[in-house]
Amino acid sequence: MPRKTITVGFADQLTEIEADIPAGEPRPWDADNRLVVVGKPVPRIDGHLKVSGRAKYTHDIALPGMLHAAVLRCPLPCARIKKIGLGGAAKAPGVKAAITLAEVGDRILFAGQDIAAVAAERPELARDALASIEVEYEALPFVVDTRMAASPSAPAVHQGVVRERKTEGDEPGAAGAQGGEGNVRKMPDSRRGDPAKALKKAAVVHEATYSTQVQTHSALETHGIVVRWDAKDKITAWCSTQGIFSVRDELAEIFGVPTANVRVITEFLGGGFGAKFGASAPGTRLGFIAGELSRKAGAPVKLMCDRHEEHVCTGNRPDAHQDVKLGADASGRLVALHVRSLGTAGIGTGAGIGRNAFSVYTKIPHVLVEASDVYTNAGPGTAMRAPGHPQGAFAVELAIDELARKMKADPLALRIRHDEHPVRKWQFEQGATRFGWAEARKRSEAARARGTRMRTGVGVAASIWGDFGRPGVTVTVTIGRDGSIKVDNGVQDIGTGIGTVMAQVAAEVLSRPTDAITVRIGRSEFGPSVGSGGSTTTSSVTPAVRNACEQAKTQLLAVASDLLGVPPADVVWGPEGQALGGGKVLTFEALCKKMPGEAIVATGTRGKTYGAHPMEFSGQPMQQIAGVQFAEVEIDTWTGVIRVKRVLAMHDCGRVMNALTCRSQINGGVILGTSYALLEERVLDRDFGRMLNPNLEHYKIAGARDIPEIDVVMTDVFAGNNSTGAIGIGEPSTIPTAAAIACAVYDALGVPVRSLPITPAKILAALGVIPTGGTPT
Amino acid sequence: MTSPTLTRRGLLRGAGTASVLASCTKPNGPDSSAPAITDANAPAEIGPDATSVEFTLNGKTVTVQVEPRVTLLEALRLDLDVTGPKLVCDRGACGACTVLVDGRPRNACMMLAHDVAGANVTTVEGLGEGEQLSALQAAFVRHDALQCGFCTSGMLTSCASLLRRRGSSASALTGAEVNDAIAGNLCRCGTYPNVVAAVLEVAGAKASTPNAAASATKAG
Repeated sequence: MPRKTITVGFADQLTEIEADIPAGEPRPWDADNRLVVVGKPVPRIDGHLKVSGRAKYTHDIALPGMLHAAVLRCPLPCARIKKIGLGGAAKAPGVKAAITLAEVGDRILFAGQDIAAVAAERPELARDALASIEVEYEALPFVVDTRMAASPSAPAVHQGVVRERKTEGDEPGAAGAQGGEGNVRKMPDSRRGDPAKALKKAAVVHEATYSTQVQTHSALETHGIVVRWDAKDKITAWCSTQGIFSVRDELAEIFGVPTANVRVITEFLGGGFGAKFGASAPGTRLGFIAGELSRKAGAPVKLMCDRHEEHVCTGNRPDAHQDVKLGADASGRLVALHVRSLGTAGIGTGAGIGRNAFSVYTKIPHVLVEASDVYTNAGPGTAMRAPGHPQGAFAVELAIDELARKMKADPLALRIRHDEHPVRKWQFEQGATRFGWAEARKRSEAARARGTRMRTGVGVAASIWGDFGRPGVTVTVTIGRDGSIKVDNGVQDIGTGIGTVMAQVAAEVLSRPTDAITVRIGRSEFGPSVGSGGSTTTSSVTPAVRNACEQAKTQLLAVASDLLGVPPADVVWGPEGQALGGGKVLTFEALCKKMPGEAIVATGTRGKTYGAHPMEFSGQPMQQIAGVQFAEVEIDTWTGVIRVKRVLAMHDCGRVMNALTCRSQINGGVILGTSYALLEERVLDRDFGRMLNPNLEHYKIAGARDIPEIDVVMTDVFAGNNSTGAIGIGEPSTIPTAAAIACAVYDALGVPVRSLPITPAKILAALGVIPTGGTPT
Repeated sequence: MTSPTLTRRGLLRGAGTASVLASCTKPNGPDSSAPAITDANAPAEIGPDATSVEFTLNGKTVTVQVEPRVTLLEALRLDLDVTGPKLVCDRGACGACTVLVDGRPRNACMMLAHDVAGANVTTVEGLGEGEQLSALQAAFVRHDALQCGFCTSGMLTSCASLLRRRGSSASALTGAEVNDAIAGNLCRCGTYPNVVAAVLEVAGAKASTPNAAASATKAG
């Protein structure tokens, strides 16, 4: 590996290091590179299609002869199938195919599970036909409440072996569940030191339980797929997916066809947030259903979930009930932290609580984090934007504030004292000034002391994530004799604008205008790529784009060298893509005209991550992505009505690739976090086991009037991690929001609300104005 | 719209236990959102089979054969291949299907196709001039007022309606008023601040939130 000197760091903390660059890769863009296009606020290149209604999502696909599918779902939370038959469904008006998806004797595990499906000429005819399907259920005992399910006397949700479903949305390397008792299955502990002993010796101990709710992804485009059989062993599928290749692989496996014969198209995608991997959703076999109905009917079949299905069987963020013990010594130093959590991912696994407790405040010497999955008769959870992290952050950050009050310490100072990450410490310090932390704390304290009706409060919380960008991407760059530049890769755009950033990187390397680059994405035939999960897309794809463009440029330089009569090393690449040498100038167009063939085609891949400055992520060889958020809330203590006034979001963005779209992603993280903190909650009826709010009027997501003013500070951090220096920002930006809001509520009221969402009722209960109780937790 | 309206919500409310078909001509109860139907102005009895309905869509007269139960949204998307309006909640909660009916923003999922007989319907596809984007659409792109883009059609129609309603007084628009106008349009990616910025720019109003300001604060 060639060793090169590069400049890394952030703000005024820059330093030179020696880095081993993988063979064939260019010297990475580091702090010394002044780039012209990359980093600029370039509007997205496909924006005109989205604002004119011309962008075609899976939802919009219409093929000749295409049928529409509908799925009959189990109405009971646990049942055995006693009888099942298609009845008149197969012959109902407009119906072309019908299949059963369960057999007599099957034990159905949640309300919403697949029972049967039909495909008809119109969606309403398909829905009508479901009424003709004959099913007899034997109702079985069930449990949907997490804590009730954890009791040894609760009905067992699973009777056999449970297969863990992992997707590219899961945090890479995160631990899975292991054997357990009853409905409880423990995950491996994270431990350092001896927290039990340290807690016994601690001078001050805070102990409390913190609860978070189940959140559903609620992407606006529901899960959906269109399957067309092009031949007996050949499929084309349009799918609303975060992982084109995961869809290809699953369809190939289900139908026993070669992967090379499966083509997947996702030109536009209406959001995913972690739930859209594979041809199927976590709780429903969409790929099989659409493919099988299509095969039977001999026509393309489109299957789009409706909003109810989207809430109950396509994944969710599990809840968490965390018992926290936090201790400090007489000098105010935090010495021990013990978190024990129970959470449910329904019939699935993955109710973890992230890394905040174990990996942010690393100066706490004794830490134990225990988390268990609890099975319940509900749709399976799955990765959702920073799986586990917002839950874990909420508990540990609020616990820190509660202990700080007991010790009469400033919670921000306490955090800075126990965090070793140089970027995060800098963000805490800079943020305090920018946000006006000290003055705001004084204001809230004064209002509390006076007992005013309207209160404000401020809080702060930390974000931790890893640079999970990885190899496995191949980008093809084609420069035509006519001077055209095409950049191809089979990545999907979940909404971050990856295609725009790809165009910027190509424009930067080749010194051409961004609008001279044609980016083609969203189809499997455009070459291997990653799924958009784990905040990996930009850091995986952009280095491959750069590497491919550098290869193409090298070939063009060779052509120029012949034409100019100077060695390739003496040809200079001009600022408009022209070649200069031997006192002569060749414009880009003139140079392209002289190329030996029709086009120069170069491919580029992305090597392994090779840098992690200034700090690694949980002992793994990758950069730890730092962030902090400050929040201010305003509360009416008479009504409990709460408003988040403002949030300051400071995030490590690696090298910012596009200031406009990066900022949009951070806005989105804060808004999702605000929605989670105050509004969203999946409500299951404990007596009937069904979801009571499977819609968007009772399942509340934040609207325009529910959000704070957001101040975004993007911290450029040069880690020397890959050839562009890109990292991901999608997940880090939503981790600390709810925690910071909860801390702000505590500052405003003087009493904590230890349960999300923080509703007016919970605020009034915390103030002692109305009694607590009546809620399932 | 000149003909009496029969909304999907009104239809279901009026139907009670009677058949939906019967309620098409004889609603059982008054509908606060629609003028009362009297014998004199009652529409002709239609259905249950598909019947033709004619209206103006993005400036062109269209005729479509649909059952009375088919919503305007379904007719647009399935029968007329106008897929800008999206089906997201299918019950008037999210605004992704917002279209202009005689200039007013309406949820196309909450109206029946037969409700717009003779009316003027404008979807996001009709906001620009052919391939040319309207000033508002262009501002959405410039301000990155879209991420996944699935709420964008509805956001744009709501905002276009706001600007048309305000006409010459649009420059006095505030961010709060824009937020009110899009209160019925849900976005999951978090584009609201940029939507407000785009609308205020087109209105010629002064930006009022930190995000609305074009200046990027950038440390490091």
